[in-house]
Parts: sequence; C-alpha cells; structure tokens
Amino acid sequence: MKHTHMRKTRRFVLACLACAPGLPLMLRSSSGFAAGDGGELNAATLRSLVADPRRARILGFSYRAQFPVEDYPGVLTDLIRSSLALGDSGAAALNRDALLSVLDARVRSEFGAGNIVRVDGWVLARTEARLCALCE
Amino acid sequence: MFVDARTLPLKFVIDADICIVGAGAAGITLARDLSGGNRRIALLESGNFDFDADTQKLYAGEVVGQAYTPIDRDRLRYLGGTTNHWQGSCRPFDALDLADWPFGVDELEPFYRQAHDICQLGPHTFEPLDWSTDEARPLELGEGASLRSGVFQYSAPTRFGTVYRNDLAAAPGLTVYLNANLVQIDTNVAGSGVTSLEVACLNGKRGRARARYYVLAAGGIENARLLLNADRVQKSGLGNEYDLVGRYFMDHPFVPLAATIVAQAGSPQMSFYDHHLVRGQIIEGYICASDEVRRREQLPPFAIGIRPAGVETTAGVAHMKLPPALHNLMSENFADHLTYYLPRWLDRLETPVTWINQRLWRNPPGAYTTVYTCGPEPDPASRVTLINTVDALGMRESRLEWRLPADFERHMQRAHELLAQELGRTGTGRLRIESSATTGYDPVKDLGEGHHHMGTTRMHDDPRRGVVDADCRVHGIDNLFIAGSSVFPSYACDDPTMTIVALALRLSSHLKSAPG
Repeated sequence: MKHTHMRKTRRFVLACLACAPGLPLMLRSSSGFAAGDGGELNAATLRSLVADPRRARILGFSYRAQFPVEDYPGVLTDLIRSSLALGDSGAAALNRDALLSVLDARVRSEFGAGNIVRVDGWVLARTEARLCALCE
Repeated sequence: MFVDARTLPLKFVIDADICIVGAGAAGITLARDLSGGNRRIALLESGNFDFDADTQKLYAGEVVGQAYTPIDRDRLRYLGGTTNHWQGSCRPFDALDLADWPFGVDELEPFYRQAHDICQLGPHTFEPLDWSTDEARPLELGEGASLRSGVFQYSAPTRFGTVYRNDLAAAPGLTVYLNANLVQIDTNVAGSGVTSLEVACLNGKRGRARARYYVLAAGGIENARLLLNADRVQKSGLGNEYDLVGRYFMDHPFVPLAATIVAQAGSPQMSFYDHHLVRGQIIEGYICASDEVRRREQLPPFAIGIRPAGVETTAGVAHMKLPPALHNLMSENFADHLTYYLPRWLDRLETPVTWINQRLWRNPPGAYTTVYTCGPEPDPASRVTLINTVDALGMRESRLEWRLPADFERHMQRAHELLAQELGRTGTGRLRIESSATTGYDPVKDLGEGHHHMGTTRMHDDPRRGVVDADCRVHGIDNLFIAGSSVFPSYACDDPTMTIVALALRLSSHLKSAPG
C-alpha cells in the first residue's frame, strides 16, 4: 500500500515536472552565452535568457491565454523592458551576466511585493511569466 | 496499585477523594501528579495493560459527512490510551493560538515546562535557529516576512501506559482500576453535583465509584459521549443545558502533496522542514504565517512541511502495514509496537534508507512536495452526537460528523501562495499549487486527519458559549471536571498531546487547592 502511494507520488511529481520546469532553471547562466554582450534589449535577447525554451513555451502559452491583451511579442517586450527600468542606453551598457542579475533582482522583488501570477498552478513573478510568454 | 475490576465483588464500591476516568495522557498525568498527597485517587481505565478487541469495540460508532477513519480504529482503549499509537509530535501553543482561550500563554508556561519532560523531549527550545545545522537549516525569511519557521520536537514517543506503569503501581494513595468502564454519571436531583459513577466490566460485574471530585479524561469523542449518555436528570445530557456538548468537534486536516516545489537538490532549507535528527532528537521544521499576516488575512493557524518527492520519511507515518497473514501471527499489541517502531528505527538509519529509496524510485532531483495541516475555525455543526445503537455495556454509541469550513481549500492555497512568494523572493525555488482547477490533481481528495479529537466540551467563561469554565469545571456542576483536548476552544495547527499534558497539570494544581 505504501509502495503504491509512493508510485502514485512519483507519477504525480513527474507529471508536474513534465509540464514546467522550476524557475531557478529558467534563467540561462552566463556560460550559455558566447557573444552579443551589450546588444539591444529586444525580444530575441530576452528569449535567449531562458534556459529551457521548450518548457517555457508551455507556460507561456497558458499565460498568453490568461492575458490575451499581452499576446504580442512587442507588448511583452515593452512590458519587460519597462519593468526592468533600464531604458535603451542602460540595457546596452549591460553585458548578459549583468542583465541576468538585473532580471533576477527584479523577479525577487516582484515575489516580495506580491506581483505574482499563477500559471498552470506555478506561482511566478510577473516578469518571468512574461519571459515565458515571449518563447512562442 | 493496580486492581482488575473484574475481580471485585459483584456490586463493588470504589471510594476515593478524586476519581479520574480514563488512563491516557491526561488521566495518567493527573493521577501521577495528584498522588502522594493526603488524597485517595482512583483512576478508572476501561482496558487492561494490553489491547483487547472486545474492549476496543466499545469505541464503535458511526461516521457521517467528511470522510474520517472509523472511530474505533483511530483511538486505543487500554492503559496509556491513544498514546499507544501516538506519533510523538510536540510543540507548545503560542500566544495567538490561545487568543480565544480564557487565559493566555503565560498561564500555561510553567506547566508546559513540566509537560516537556513528561513527554520525554529534548532540549527546552523550539527556536528554529537552535536546531539549525549545515545539512538542515531554516529559510532566511527575515523580520518583515509574511511567513516564519517553527519546530516540532518528536517524543520517543512516550507510551504513557508503558513508561509510567511502574510509577502508577507505586504511587501512594493511587489505585488504578483496569477493565472498569464508566457507564453512567449520577447526580443529585438538581443536577448540580455528581454523586457517583456507575462502573461496569465486560464480565458482567457492576459497581459504583464515589468521590468528592470527578474528572473525565476519556478523550475528545468519549468525554462528550459520556456526558450525553448521562441523561437521567438532564435529558439532553449532563452539562448540556445550552446544547454545546459534542459540538465544535475538530481534527487537524492533513493534506499530502498539496504543492510541488522545485529547488536545489539536497537543499538544506528543504531538509529542515522534514523529519530529521539533530543531536539525537528527531525534529521537524514547519512554515507558518507570521502573526501579522495571520491576523490581517484571517488565516487559520497552519503548518507546511516539505518532503522529498516520492520518498516518504517513515517517521512521518504512524504505522507501517503488515500483510494480514503476518499480522495474525502476533498479538495486536506486539503488532502495534512493531509497526510503529520498525519504520522509526529504519528512519534513524537515514542515509542508507534514503539512498535506496531514491535509487529505487529515481526521484527527480530537487523535487519536493508539501504537506499541509491547519486548525480550522470552530464550527458548531461539526459534532459528536449519539445514535440508538448501544454497545456491549448498554451505552449509546457516538456518531461523528466532521465538517471542514467552506474556505478550507482557499486558505490552503493562500498559504502556499505565500510560501511560493518567499521561495521566489529568497531565490530558493518555485512552487506549484495543486488543485483540480489548475492542474487536474485534487489534493483535497487525499485529505486525511491527524486523529486529534478536540473541542467537544469547549472551555469558555460563559456557560452559553462553553461546556467547562477556565478551571475545566463543567458549568453548573460543582465537582465535575474535564481533562483533555475536548476542552480546547480553538485548535492551533499541531498535535495536542503536549497541551493536554500541560492542561492536566494545571487542573491537578487546581484540584490540589480545592476544598477536601
């Protein structure tokens, strides 16, 4: 009976993980980047920060369905850029490690301030949810 | 001294100054603490030293409403009572837990100190940082955080009937009557004082117990049943003038797999909130709301624990299951002890068991699940009543209707949302809340209970709002007291045993100073 329960638990957890990654895995570490430091903070740059675009797409799809008004790459990019409060020149001055660091700080502060959204059960900071939504 | 009531004369009479009914955590604590003075103490225990199926059947009853373990299975009716399968979790209630009680935490504090030793716990601290190690340390939540950490210490667990049996045998002035069942409480014509207890044995012997003071310490369901069955003078039952006896029944709902957390594999912050050994003491961290958030959001007291996904820590399982063929080869008592202690022994091996488990099931690294429990708001419709079926001694059986509040799931989700925020804010991990609406998995379907029976003779200064007063005396009856978690007017979020023991010591102190 206990083993049955353990199997059930394991199946349940695997099913959860198949749907979406944990967000510590969401931002790609600096070793994942080879070039392009100091570039414009556009949709492609933002997408390149996501560690697992395939899984992020699943979450992003749900997010866009939940918030159809944001279902445009331009809108999402603008919203993320404004939440980071960098401006074009500020973003250009950052290398990717620094950009990741800014994003991480922003995400943490959103969690702290309760600026969160629930997507398929995952509780995400608004900005990281939008990053997922960019990965269409 | 122990006396088997079945060996007494046919119409026996037990004379004492104080008569206590029920030898569980409360009754044994009271009896030990009261003995040694100049008063004669009689402790009536329905069972014997060991489990007996016929005696256990006296607990049979009906369960309606919210699914619940049959009530003749989650209690034990022999010396030591339900502590014979107690899991051992202990924590003193805090100030906010006692907000609805007629006294504050300061009143209980000295009794908690004694209860701590009676429950055989480790060092006298429940401060999370005192239990922090490199392998398991609490989340750094900070001063203004919405959540905070707490700690449960695990008792050996203390089987009161086994551990204190010699004390009971040797205690001066104390006689423990085994196989002695209370079947009726007789009062004077006005119903303002108990005159004697009618006592029956399963072998047909019957007698009376007479005392100056009487204490019911028979458990959260049985205390109400005994009062409701005592309907000779007051037809609705003793102490039930305002229809409160049996109402406000509550248990701690327990939801495994309430959420999934993804964090660093082997994270010390995750390990802290599972059962683990620290300097020889089993502890378990938990996460709960800060007092401010609990007040502001009107959340019930809750506790969230964290487990590695797919691995059940055996200390968290009250009993392992034996195959019936093997189970039938041994006595119920031996099976009970084996199925309790073996998993805990294995758990103490910790690393090998975890290692095997993890390889057996190939758990995803860094995946954890939460377990959630809470103390919901008192609800008068959640209650114990009587049915017309009678037991072998002619007493009407209990019907239990456990109700959970309508906002139970919403509160559980909010608690996890707060945890998700703290995990995100501290960069520890991310959390997914399970619900039928969002993920298709409904954790509430797997809801269990803590087997903590509380609230059915609640304490309140006003007799219209409580069955007993602040001294645990039944309103309107001079010499009848109640011990145990049935007097809790609210429920905190954890095992009641340590508070049961503290309250029993407080009642003992009161009875010692009561006129002889």
